[in-house]
Amino acid sequence: MQFIKSLFRERTYTLTLFIVITFIIASIIFPGQFPTFQNIQQILLNSSVETIVAVGMMVLLISGAFDLSVGSVAAMAGALTAWLMMIAETNSIVAIAGGLSAALLVGLFNGYFISYIGINPLIQTLATMGMVRGIALMIAGAGIQNLPYEFIYIGQSKMLGIQSPVWWMLIIVILFHYLTTYTVFFRRYYYIGGNEIAAELSGIHVKKVKMFGFILSAFLAGLAGILLTSRLGAAISSIGNGMELRVITAVILGGASLKGGQGKIFGALLGTILIGVISNIMVLSRVSGYWQEIIIGIILIGAIWLDLAVQRKTE
Amino acid sequence: MLDLKNISKSFSGVKALSDVSFTLQAGEVHALCGENGAGKSTLMNIVAGNLKPDEGSLHLKGELVTFNNHQQAGKKGIAIVYQDRSLVNTLSVAENIFLNHYPLNRFGFIDYKKLYVDTSQVLAGLELQDIKPDMLVKDLSPAQEQMIEIAKSLVKEPEILILDEPTASITEKETRILFQIIKKLTAKGVGIIYISHRLAEVFLIADRVTVLKDGKVQGTLPIEEVNQDKLISLMVGRSLGQQTFENFAQKEVALKVQNLSGKGFHNISFQVARGEIVALAGLIGAGRTEIAKTIFGALQKTNGEVMLYDSPCHFTNTSDAVTCGIAYVAEDRKQQSIFADMSMTENMLAAKYAGAGFAKYIPEKASISIAESFKEKLHISTPSLDKKIKELSGGNQQKTILARWLSMEPKVLIVDEPTQGVDVGAKFEIYELLHNLARQGTAILLVSSELPEVLTLANRIIVIWQGMVAGEISKENATEEKILHLASGLNTVN
Repeated sequence: MQFIKSLFRERTYTLTLFIVITFIIASIIFPGQFPTFQNIQQILLNSSVETIVAVGMMVLLISGAFDLSVGSVAAMAGALTAWLMMIAETNSIVAIAGGLSAALLVGLFNGYFISYIGINPLIQTLATMGMVRGIALMIAGAGIQNLPYEFIYIGQSKMLGIQSPVWWMLIIVILFHYLTTYTVFFRRYYYIGGNEIAAELSGIHVKKVKMFGFILSAFLAGLAGILLTSRLGAAISSIGNGMELRVITAVILGGASLKGGQGKIFGALLGTILIGVISNIMVLSRVSGYWQEIIIGIILIGAIWLDLAVQRKTE
Repeated sequence: MLDLKNISKSFSGVKALSDVSFTLQAGEVHALCGENGAGKSTLMNIVAGNLKPDEGSLHLKGELVTFNNHQQAGKKGIAIVYQDRSLVNTLSVAENIFLNHYPLNRFGFIDYKKLYVDTSQVLAGLELQDIKPDMLVKDLSPAQEQMIEIAKSLVKEPEILILDEPTASITEKETRILFQIIKKLTAKGVGIIYISHRLAEVFLIADRVTVLKDGKVQGTLPIEEVNQDKLISLMVGRSLGQQTFENFAQKEVALKVQNLSGKGFHNISFQVARGEIVALAGLIGAGRTEIAKTIFGALQKTNGEVMLYDSPCHFTNTSDAVTCGIAYVAEDRKQQSIFADMSMTENMLAAKYAGAGFAKYIPEKASISIAESFKEKLHISTPSLDKKIKELSGGNQQKTILARWLSMEPKVLIVDEPTQGVDVGAKFEIYELLHNLARQGTAILLVSSELPEVLTLANRIIVIWQGMVAGEISKENATEEKILHLASGLNTVN
């Protein structure tokens, strides 16, 4: 009984269990297609970009905020990087630095207006979502192709037989797991999410810390966008469409709460993997793309409902 | 009128009430005393219909009743004013007071004109003329909010009114008004159950007193048959002598405030020496909390200077203030101090996160040993430091908050209403603690609405009236009357 209780209290355990069960069921239904190295690697690869974004989103949700502009920022950073390489003819490193800087600027813009001016995160990031998507469309137009080899290498190379975006994902997840567990700076997000006024009156510089959260979220979204552009070998202005919904779903599944104060980075990883597994099963069962969107929406509501039910049970 | 027979109630195996019987007659004030965790709130929540007893029965005017929810109790004429405020911040005073029973016009729409007129009358009855019916609750001070809370229950015209710590956040002036109202109500035959930690009030207002300890009734006595010492010994099982504290003030000036002006106060000057306890006394809304928060950097000054050991400090945020050695225990524990869903350890360490570097590592072992040592030192009683702070009593919560700041070893400690909603035992422990800090050389600025507290603790008392210094009284010359005199704007110095 004690074991079951702790299983439900700790979301990362519940999720792991859930993923294992889904995995077993899928392996029974699709024995030849699902449990292969190829397919599992594909699931991880497909989850990698969104996991990187989810890490930033998790940090924000711990502090009680969220960012809807991540998908647009990813598209814009990828487009700008490609534009710098192909149209402005800079080298890849300068181009990547340019793409990341643009993402940082969007984060600074969001963070400043939300923390210092006091605009609601929903309104602010909804507005930038539209604005930044516009900029991405302006830069990339119908798409920028034939990106140079050394840039494509970043997202298409393999190490130990595993694609590089998966490695990027693992590095970022482990790094931020360490940071949010052991550093004073990132622990502050838990305090801010727990009680913002008390955090302020405990000497935490709430505005600064919150602003940094949005900068981080935009930076990771930019990084994810550049990685995706490299993997695709082309800048496409529509990438990251609907990403905010999938990422927030994954992070809520991963144990974050909209009221803030809780969540773990590994939860974000497990959340995206679970969604990745479910999407993969839907593809194997030939469910149409429209239905996939509907099902993701249902999962989001289901996750929040489950969260409320568990909270009431344990209290 | 109300008769509770052999009530028992357990929460997840822990007995909160066992075999409690309690009666209330029409027109009497029956005080309920006991330390935090004694079961007072549980008992009252049973009366108000929020909880169901495991055993025992409730009789109202001789008739057996069971309440499934608060609304049913309300229909029977029972109203409760909770210790925790339950107002809607973003609505107006009028809408809060008449929540759920708005006056309607003949088309069934809300009659705002009547709503505001009725509210004005209610407010006038409570001598709250400075509150307008259309003011938003969020713009009120905690004391005003408390009075609105009381007004809200009065308009229901209850036959039984339960007041749970009604004076915890109001000043002497509002308390006097409240007592007048209680007298009027009892004259009309309303029965009042009065819960308070402030024993002096119990003697002023109550007809009978029941003492609870660990969920059991220690005794129900007419007020004439008890005195303060006896009441305390019933509550805690021992008697506490009146404490007298030495003065540890040294020559060196720790905190110097010069011509400080800001939101709600202007031209404030005073200083606190090393080892000295200085109280800022005054009525609620006089600007004391604003002064404290401005020194701490949580509010911005418009003019003037704050000096810490002769070096000027201009804090634009609290983080800088903490780094410089200023600590602030906020007045509203639930809203402003605790991280309710976080553990005791995490709550204690919150201030350690201020101002520290970007990637400074806090080893878990170190945090636990800091928390353990403060648990010992401050006699915090909890089965485990991993427990969420919201599951503890007010006294233990407040000690945890004090531990948060003591772990910083502050040069100047500002405490705003440090014993609000804290039981008698913990209260004296907190006094003891502040006193020891002064002995060790910490300069302490005390903001308190409780005059006995100010008189017990402070070496010097500065009275604030309408955002200005109304006068200063030394400990030797201080009496409650003198402080009140100055706090009400009579005999203003300067």
